[in-house]
Amino acid sequence: MALKALDIYKLLPKKNCKECGEPTCLTFAMKLAAGKADIEKCPYLDEEASRILGASTKPPIQRVKIGVGERSFAVGDEFVQFRHEKTFNHQPGILVAVSDLWPDDRIQDVVREVRDGVLVRIGTDLRLDGIAIRCESGSAEEFSRAVAAVEAKADLPEVLMAADPGVMEAGLSVCGAFRPLIYAATDENYQGMCALAGKFGCPLTIRAESLESLAKLSALAAKEGAPALLIDPSATTLSDYIKKATAIRQNAVSKTVPDLGYPIFFDTTVTGMQDAALALGVDKYASVLVCDRLSIPSRNALLTLRQNIYTDPQKPIQMNPGIYRVGEPVRDSPVFLSVNFSLTYFTLQGYLEASGVPCYMLVVDTEGYSVLTAVAGGKLNETLVAESIKKTGLESEVDHRTLIIPGYAAPLSGKIEDESGWKVLVGPRDAAGVAEFLEKEWKK
Amino acid sequence: MPMKVDIISEWTGEIGEVTIGATKKEGGSRCAAIVIGGGSGFPFLGGSAPGRKPLIAFEFCDDPKLWSPIVTEFEGDVVNDAGAWAARAEERHRPDLLRFYLTSTRRRGFQEFSQVGRSVEEVLERSTLPLIVEGSIDPAIDSETFLRCGEAGEGERLLLGTAEEGRYRSVAAAAMAYGHSVIAQSPIDVNLAKQLNILLRETGVPHDRIVIDPYTGALGYGFEYSYSAMERIRYAALKGDEDLAMPMISSAIDSLNIKEVREADPGQRGEMAVKWELYTAVSSAIAGASVVCVRHPDTIVPLRSAIDSLWGKTGGGD
Ligand code: SF4
Repeated sequence: MALKALDIYKLLPKKNCKECGEPTCLTFAMKLAAGKADIEKCPYLDEEASRILGASTKPPIQRVKIGVGERSFAVGDEFVQFRHEKTFNHQPGILVAVSDLWPDDRIQDVVREVRDGVLVRIGTDLRLDGIAIRCESGSAEEFSRAVAAVEAKADLPEVLMAADPGVMEAGLSVCGAFRPLIYAATDENYQGMCALAGKFGCPLTIRAESLESLAKLSALAAKEGAPALLIDPSATTLSDYIKKATAIRQNAVSKTVPDLGYPIFFDTTVTGMQDAALALGVDKYASVLVCDRLSIPSRNALLTLRQNIYTDPQKPIQMNPGIYRVGEPVRDSPVFLSVNFSLTYFTLQGYLEASGVPCYMLVVDTEGYSVLTAVAGGKLNETLVAESIKKTGLESEVDHRTLIIPGYAAPLSGKIEDESGWKVLVGPRDAAGVAEFLEKEWKK
Repeated sequence: MPMKVDIISEWTGEIGEVTIGATKKEGGSRCAAIVIGGGSGFPFLGGSAPGRKPLIAFEFCDDPKLWSPIVTEFEGDVVNDAGAWAARAEERHRPDLLRFYLTSTRRRGFQEFSQVGRSVEEVLERSTLPLIVEGSIDPAIDSETFLRCGEAGEGERLLLGTAEEGRYRSVAAAAMAYGHSVIAQSPIDVNLAKQLNILLRETGVPHDRIVIDPYTGALGYGFEYSYSAMERIRYAALKGDEDLAMPMISSAIDSLNIKEVREADPGQRGEMAVKWELYTAVSSAIAGASVVCVRHPDTIVPLRSAIDSLWGKTGGGD
């Protein structure tokens, strides 16, 4: 758990000697609390303090930034195994693979798709993140040509995928200034790859089959001076991936094996079932996902799942009661009664939007229950509705006095009329029927 | 350093098992009695008690006007005959289970209760897979509807849905009278799920005849809550909370009605429906659902490959 600046300050030596590079112990404590300083900079910590602070100020999974500019993204910096424990911080980057065996125009078709493709959901632009350039030719020349073809079209984050450090260097000499992710250092080539990562200041992925060798290799790479790491447990089946990724996450966040405290890289193209692998990677701990070109449906489902999983789970599932507008309603627009269970709200809102008729939604507080449950349990009743009409000032919003209630609230219609003085129209049971209902029954 | 790095599992609780379907020998007519649930870990992590591989249920109904046109257009005329639809789904789509929705009961003023029993009988006659039956969703007709469903499926060990807080007695009574199990649905909340299970138990429904439905919101419309509710329920069960240690069922029933799918480019609508269901069902299985439900027939093949690959060669264990 993160400590507050004052708690950290209490543990510091309070010498104000400036050796940490900060003017006072207190400013050092504030930087630590924000995760912007390294605890090891203070030489005077006693053992107890460094144990507590070392464990609580450094994220158990390193933060790594990939790319530069507008589309760059950061991953890692995660603290929990389950999103319900707190939240997942940094959504995985999704990079679409191209091959250096392809001609420039084929490569650039993919680049344009990633550059321009966007799905707009609840006011947010969702996009794929970048391009993975795969060396399949074995030639340094072809590889740097492919990198240049990508660079010519977009400033997207990149993964350079080549096994030979010589080939990698050719690619880095084209785009090394833009923080591409190097893929991958293995047992055989790690010294060469680490040297390149150091020289170009780029993040490096290390790959090994077993978690033990991954931990060993990551320690070696860190010693060789690689500035930032990702780890790839080389899973080829979904079973292999979920087991390894879970073990990595658990051992990292519990700090049991700190050498596994790096974001996970998952190349989904090797699994032979890309959609499922992408869903799995989003759900379970991947930070960089590589995939082949996605159809629009795959892309939309994937981006939506990622948005869902990386939403803060503390966000309440209940809507605030009140008046909501669909489109631009006017004084004679219909008013729909709904409950503050957000899924009910979103479903109805979706269908109202689709109907094209501007209207109001009066959302009342049923403690987050759906209509059916709220009616059965007495949480949705005439008093609540009448009070909500008064409290929200609905009567000054519209000139008419007609309330459309959900089909399942039909037993309440008489009582609501008596209690509120409004006329009640019973709407459809299934929100899917609202468009038809509006057409046939909403007449002023 | 060269210690073995492994999954950390410190669980003691175990997930209960529920049997769906009864074979001839057991007094029913299903091709198998399927056991769901079991195990004492998170899904797909192997270990010594991995539980059982999640199953796929295909959903269909008796009143196709209340079903997504994406599916009814794909399936063609067969959707007008529930028995024929069941037979075709079993033969061509090859799910593990069938889930039959009596959507006819959702029309205003529904009173054709004898038809309810006949529809269930017809589905049972024309298919052999273990069957889940979804009856009324209206307290006013629950009692009569569930009684007819239960009666028609006597001996078949159906899974009957759906009980909710405030309207669980009719389902429970029908299940108890005719030997079926019950789906217990709560609005995406661990405590409410637990509370309903306790209520059902007090009514006399035993632990091994309850399947939890934590309510699955569609992808993009609250799925994240459902995902975490499932993980939390499983987590609580593994920590020893027996009132939550039942297998779970997940069905994102609104998937094909949401704007992203319904208003997709006509050329892509079918694929959009399939991908939306696939991403949701794979994620639900990962979160702990023992039965994942789909409505588009084309979702079944990729979903099965995904579950098989997640499960691994060794049956989830090492
Ligand atoms: S080095 Fe340590 S003692 Fe000196 S100012 Fe920094 S925190 Fe305080």
